[in-house]
Amino acid sequence: MATSTESLPPPGWDREGLDGLLNVFPRGRLSEIVGPRSSGGGSLLLALLARAASRGGLVALVDGADAFDPETAARAGLDLRALLWVRCSGRLTSAWSAADLLARCPGFAVVALDLGTAPVAAPPSFGVRLQRAAAGNEAVVVVRAPRQVTGSAAALVVSVRRARARWIGAPRRIRLGGVVSEARVLRSRFDPRLATPGRAWLIEWRA
Amino acid sequence: MRRIACLFVPGADERVKPDLLEIALRHSPSVEDGGPGIVYLDLGGLERLWGGEREIAARLHSAACERGAAVRVGVAGSRAGARFAARAGGDVTIVPPGLDARWLGPAPLALLGLGPEMAARLGRWGIRTLGELADLPSRGLAERLGGEGPRLQRLARGEDATPLRLWTPPPVFEESADCPWGVEALEPLGDLAAGLAEMLCARLRRHELSADAFEWTCRLADRTVHEGDCTPAAPLADSTAAAALLRASLAARPPGAAVEVITLRARPVRVPTSQPRLDEPPRPSPRLLTAALARLSSLVGAPGIGSPVLLDSHRPDAMRMTPFLLPSPRPSPQRREGDWNPLPHWGRGKGKGVVLAVRRIRPPLSADVALHAGAPAHLRAAGLAGRIIAGAGPWRVSGEWWTEAPFVQDEWDVELDDGTLCRLARDGRGWRLEAIYD
Repeated sequence: MATSTESLPPPGWDREGLDGLLNVFPRGRLSEIVGPRSSGGGSLLLALLARAASRGGLVALVDGADAFDPETAARAGLDLRALLWVRCSGRLTSAWSAADLLARCPGFAVVALDLGTAPVAAPPSFGVRLQRAAAGNEAVVVVRAPRQVTGSAAALVVSVRRARARWIGAPRRIRLGGVVSEARVLRSRFDPRLATPGRAWLIEWRA
Repeated sequence: MRRIACLFVPGADERVKPDLLEIALRHSPSVEDGGPGIVYLDLGGLERLWGGEREIAARLHSAACERGAAVRVGVAGSRAGARFAARAGGDVTIVPPGLDARWLGPAPLALLGLGPEMAARLGRWGIRTLGELADLPSRGLAERLGGEGPRLQRLARGEDATPLRLWTPPPVFEESADCPWGVEALEPLGDLAAGLAEMLCARLRRHELSADAFEWTCRLADRTVHEGDCTPAAPLADSTAAAALLRASLAARPPGAAVEVITLRARPVRVPTSQPRLDEPPRPSPRLLTAALARLSSLVGAPGIGSPVLLDSHRPDAMRMTPFLLPSPRPSPQRREGDWNPLPHWGRGKGKGVVLAVRRIRPPLSADVALHAGAPAHLRAAGLAGRIIAGAGPWRVSGEWWTEAPFVQDEWDVELDDGTLCRLARDGRGWRLEAIYD
C-alpha cells in the first residue's frame, strides 16, 4: 500500500505524461534540465536516453561525476549497446570538451552532459559553443545540472522539483516506491506556450 | 577422370591445419579445407610436375611428416572415397580408378556428413553403410527422399562431380618501417604510424576489406618490445581515421625508449554493404566517430570510454566497460498482414521509461550514521549531511560466497530533511553512502 508524506498536487495539472514532456526536447538545439538532487532530473535524462535508443538511435552520455548506473538504465529500457558512455571521473574540464566534441559528431540521437548534483560553474561562453555545436546536426543536446549553467544559450530549460517521495508499506515503511516529480518549462525558444507559468508535468518515477 | 587426394589427421588436430593447407597448396592450386583435420587436393594435371598419384601421395605424406603431423593420405575419384581411404587405410592408400563404389561399400553412413534427421531416417530403414545405400533402387529413393536421395546415393557410389571449394590463404595486412636512428618523440612516431596506416588502408580497399582492429609493435633501442592495439568503433579502411586512432593509441601508451622498428597489423573483415533504410535513424559515419573517439581517448583516457555491460552478479555496481561499436543495421522487418508497427515501441512493459534513476557514488563514501531505535537517524558524509526523516530497510545483499571475495551488506533507503533520497550500506567496515536517487 502506498503512503505519502505530502499532499497530492492540486487539480488542473498537465497530465499528458512523460511522452509529452520528452517530445518538447528539440533536435539541433541545446536544452537543459535543472533541479536539485533527488528531484527527478536524472530520471528525466535517463528516460530521454532510453526513448531515443529504443527508436534505434545511438546516444552519448558524458558523465561528469561518473555516477551513471547501467543497471538502472537497463531497467529503464535503455539498450546499453547503443550507449556511448564517457566517464570523466569528476574532471569537468574534460567533460566540457567531450560534450562539445560529441555534439559536433553527427549521427547521435541524443548527446547528454551530466554535471552531477554539486553546483558547478561552466567556463565562459561554454553554452554558446555548445549551442553552435548542436546547431550543426540533428541530435538533442542536453545538459543536466542542479542549476542553469549555459546562460541564455539553451533553447529549452526544464526545471524539475520533487513533489513527494512514495514509500511502500504502512505503518512501517518497507521500501522506497518512487518519487513524484513536477517538471516545468522555464524557457522555450521555439514554443513559448510551453513556458506558461501554470503549466507543469507530473511524473511518477518508480524505484 | 578426376582424382582427389585427402590429407587426414586422426583426432582432428586443428593445430596442424595451417601446415596441411600450406603443403597442399604447394602441390596443387585446387585445395579445399574439408573441416577439422581434413584437406582435399585436386590431382588433375599434376602428373608432369610431380609424377603419378603414388609419388604425389608419398610426397604429401613425407612433407607432412617433416612438420611433425601424423597425416594419412588417401587418393580416390571422389572426396568421400579419398577420405575413407585415408581414414581406413595406412599412411598412403590409393583407390584404383573406377573402384570407388566397391571401396566405399563397407564405409559407415557418417562419412557423408548427414544431418541428424536424414541419418535417423536412413537408420530406421536399416541402412548402415554406404554400400547398402548405393544398392537401393534409385527411383524409390527419389520418391521417398526427393532430390537429396539420389545425390546421397551418387556420393555413396563415389560419383562426386562437385568442384572443390577453393581455399586461398588469407592476406596478411602488415607493414613495417625501420628507423635505425631511433624515434623518441611521439609526433614523428605518429607520422610513421600514419604512413603505415595509409599503406594498409590502401591494401584493404583494394581487397574490398576493412579493419576492425589495429595492432602495433615497436622494437625499442633498449632491446625491448612495446606493443599495443586499438579498436575503431566500426570497421574502417579510411587512412585519416586510422591515423588519428593510432596517434591517440600511441599517446595513451607511449614507448619508454627510442623506437627502431615499428610494425602495424590490421585485422581484416569484410563489411557487407547495405543501403540505409528510410525508417532508420542516422548513424555516425565510422570515420567521424573513430576520429571523435580517438580525441575523447586523449581527453579522458581510453578505459573511460565505451559501452557498459552488466555482469551476471548481484554485487552492487557489477559491470564492465566494452569498446563502443557501431551496431550493425537491423534487418528489414518482415511485415506481415496485420502488423501495423513492426518497430519496437518505447514504454512497452512494466516500468519501462519511468524508472527512478540512481546516481552511483564511485567509490562509495564512508559515512557517519547515528542510530535511533536501531534505525538510521542522522547522516554525515562528505558533501552530504542531515537528519533522516524517513527510511526503509535493511535488506541483506550477499553473494559469491563460493569465491575468495564474497560480499554481504545491509542496505537502507533514507530521505534526508533537505529532500535528498539516498542509499546507505553497512557491512563489517562500517557505513557507506552508495548512491543518490535522482
